Amino acid sequence: MVCSIVPPYILRRLAAQGSPRFSAVARAAREALLHVGAVHAARTSAPTAPAGIRQLEPSPVNRSVFDAKSGESLPGQVVRKEGDAATGDPAVDEAYDGLGHTHSLYADAFGRNSIDGLGMPLKATVHFGRMYDNAFWDGQQMVFGDGDGEVFERFTRSLSVIGHELAHGVTQFSAGLAYRNQAGAINESVSDVFGALVEQYFRKQTAAEASWLIGEGLFTPQVEGSALRSMKAPGTAYDDDVLGKDPQPDSMDSYVRTRSDNGGVHINSGIPNRAFCLVAQTLGGNAWDAPGQIWYETLTGGSLSTATTFTAFAKATAATAKELFGEESAEHDAVRGAWETVKVKL
Amino acid sequence: MKITVERSGGIAALTRVWTVQAVTTSEKSRWQPLVEACPWDAVDDPRQAPDGQPDGQPDRFMYSIRAGQRRATLPETAVTGPWRVLVESTRTAAEESRPGGGEAGFRR
Repeated sequence: MVCSIVPPYILRRLAAQGSPRFSAVARAAREALLHVGAVHAARTSAPTAPAGIRQLEPSPVNRSVFDAKSGESLPGQVVRKEGDAATGDPAVDEAYDGLGHTHSLYADAFGRNSIDGLGMPLKATVHFGRMYDNAFWDGQQMVFGDGDGEVFERFTRSLSVIGHELAHGVTQFSAGLAYRNQAGAINESVSDVFGALVEQYFRKQTAAEASWLIGEGLFTPQVEGSALRSMKAPGTAYDDDVLGKDPQPDSMDSYVRTRSDNGGVHINSGIPNRAFCLVAQTLGGNAWDAPGQIWYETLTGGSLSTATTFTAFAKATAATAKELFGEESAEHDAVRGAWETVKVKL
Repeated sequence: MKITVERSGGIAALTRVWTVQAVTTSEKSRWQPLVEACPWDAVDDPRQAPDGQPDGQPDRFMYSIRAGQRRATLPETAVTGPWRVLVESTRTAAEESRPGGGEAGFRR
């Protein structure tokens, strides 16, 4: 067990350091603060979810990419292992690079040791199935289809999609959010948030510079659309004669009640997606810093119920922001303001 | 007999629909065995799974299959054996769009 001798008010000041020169100490202070919070919570109530796993020194990435050769047996034939040269197959090399960029975000920004927090090797299979229009995390590894060529290109083209799917793994190993109704929409949103952060961190884009699009480049040129989803402006990612219009709401005023899509998990995720984007835009700078830290600690800190609601999640992010940065901080204000804008009650 | 395969979910959450109509005697004799081979009564509705993930895998597809009065909803990982044959046959016939072949499109 790690114990802290530094008082919480000093940790808060350190955690709030915005200068890159102090980023390591700020991160360490936030880690310590969260630990203090977790110990306090453990003393006062029984945990509702597994506590987050923290290791200060993540192990190096260990990747393997496999080729399913248009079949559906996993993992397939290994075609590139860690340290091997590029193969020339775009799907293989994009998957390899995407796994690496995702590992880097979690290691560098959040001190997380791979997807499970314990340094698990990262595996991906490409060329899965015939004209397969999807990418998914099967609980142990990534799987990518080549797309049908008419609506979708190969799914390795989008780094935010790779980050999205691997974030489902992080959720699986931390908050374990259910995949239905509001908890499912939070599960989906968290994957979009960290998918976007993987892409922004790789491109070194600030919140103002980022596109906030999920799945940019996946649609073929025949489709009238820029991406699968827009975190900045939910509901505007595509509007196509064949596909129809992006159905995401941008606030609780247009929340969609439906039985399909597990209760609209990919639809209502637009609401918490926009909340995160608003936090990042309000604070400025890099979204993987304070905004990402608040969302990451909320997801992995052990306070979320697996059946969490939008309101419970919003309250948890505000509590994390208060714990990390203080009640009067810009970060706490930004989180509260964002949820107010999307009309989720705190 | 009308056969409809609706595939929802996936990371894109777009719903695709493939439909065939078995009208003539020869069409019915082709499709009836494919439909009869499926264990329609042995399927639990996966949407009733406690955590919403019947196969424990977010972003996988969900298939709703209808043939005449019969209907079943299966997670992608359960579309195997006769179900796989029925789904693939419907999709292929619908996409060929030949007379009596059927229709393929998106639910908007």
